[in-house]
Amino acid sequence: MGVPYVPVLGLVGTDLLKRRDDMVIAVDPFDGKTKTVVAKAMRPDVAVFHAQKADRHGNVSCGYEAEVVILAEASRHVIVTAETIVDRLSEKEATGAFIPGIHVDTIAHAPFGAHPAGCAGLYSPDKAHMAEYVAASQDDAIFTEYLRACVFDVKDHDEYVERFVPRHWREPTRAVGADSTRTESA
Amino acid sequence: MKYSEAELLAVLLSREVRDGEISACGALSQIPAAGLLLARELHAPNAEILILRSAFDPFHTSRQFHFLAQRGEMGLFFVSGVQIDRHGNYNLHQLGPDPERPKARFPGGYGGGMIYYAARRTVVFRTEHTRRSLVERVDFVSAAGATPPDVLRRGHPSKMVTPKATFRFDKNAAVFKLDTIHPPWTLDDIRANTGFELDVKGAIPATPAPTEEELHVLRHVIRRRMIDTGTYAAWAERSLGN
Repeated sequence: MGVPYVPVLGLVGTDLLKRRDDMVIAVDPFDGKTKTVVAKAMRPDVAVFHAQKADRHGNVSCGYEAEVVILAEASRHVIVTAETIVDRLSEKEATGAFIPGIHVDTIAHAPFGAHPAGCAGLYSPDKAHMAEYVAASQDDAIFTEYLRACVFDVKDHDEYVERFVPRHWREPTRAVGADSTRTESA
Repeated sequence: MKYSEAELLAVLLSREVRDGEISACGALSQIPAAGLLLARELHAPNAEILILRSAFDPFHTSRQFHFLAQRGEMGLFFVSGVQIDRHGNYNLHQLGPDPERPKARFPGGYGGGMIYYAARRTVVFRTEHTRRSLVERVDFVSAAGATPPDVLRRGHPSKMVTPKATFRFDKNAAVFKLDTIHPPWTLDDIRANTGFELDVKGAIPATPAPTEEELHVLRHVIRRRMIDTGTYAAWAERSLGN
């Protein structure tokens, strides 16, 4: 949104509010009396997210959860990885939320770029890998080892896909869009 | 008729839903989800029900949900917390006397502290009625029962429901007061298992037990619907009608 701040009805009296310096209680400027919380705008320098489809002009189709539209509008720079890159994506054929290219700095082709999370309409989360991730995250040493194996020691995205995305996901018979189950996260 | 605690809670929550209103629960809320579906099947056919992250969630973004609540369109919301206190505060964040060194941390969340002010009624429920879950003061206030002067607020906690009793929130005194007791529990049981002063005057009525109709519809129609729509299907299969 990028407006300076947003009023929020609620939160007064919580310990959450005491711990945040980006939310304060303010008087309604119109009636000069009633109070609400106002939350300071977030202005991220860079947003990076994964989408189903993008085009050469930076237009992006992203869904099912369209939270990233706000993220793209609020951020100074936006980098999008996408399952598919087409020549020209019209607003009509965008199946998910449409983000106009004016907000987007860079796109990159990254099939299975959401793995081990899912990409709505294309693939579900990789449950086995997710379970491994959750187990690893309970211990600093094991998590460091997970990061080494799955992130730092991997040369590039192609190597990641080759080594970590289940082989049967990559078979050509599995046409894009064939699996229409709604995934748990995008 | 015999019933489980989960079935009892689902029935009691369903009775809070009013026809024609928008009633909602968040994610990880199987008991309220069953209660919402049950209410719409029985006494509230025109209730709009909203079960976040399920087939009964019309929204694509949390922005849509946030502003629906902010506009005051939400009649009823169901929440739970690890601790709930006499003053209507609940805690979804952390346990322990020192906030900098919590003994245990929970998912937390911002939504509850907002919705507590925005929904007309919020019903707080807890699957455990003990001195550690119902306390005089929560260790961390995730949502506040009382409102400072001049602060805009549309709605309040209205009730608390546990496996042993229901409490009514007294807005003027800003405290939960014991309302009904589920048989076979007695006032002594409630007193022994509640971590705050009950301040009881006179006899406390018994909670009307789930009726045959409520249990029948919950165990057959609602169980089937939850399984068919993938709404906490595994929970419904395991917890309803067994």
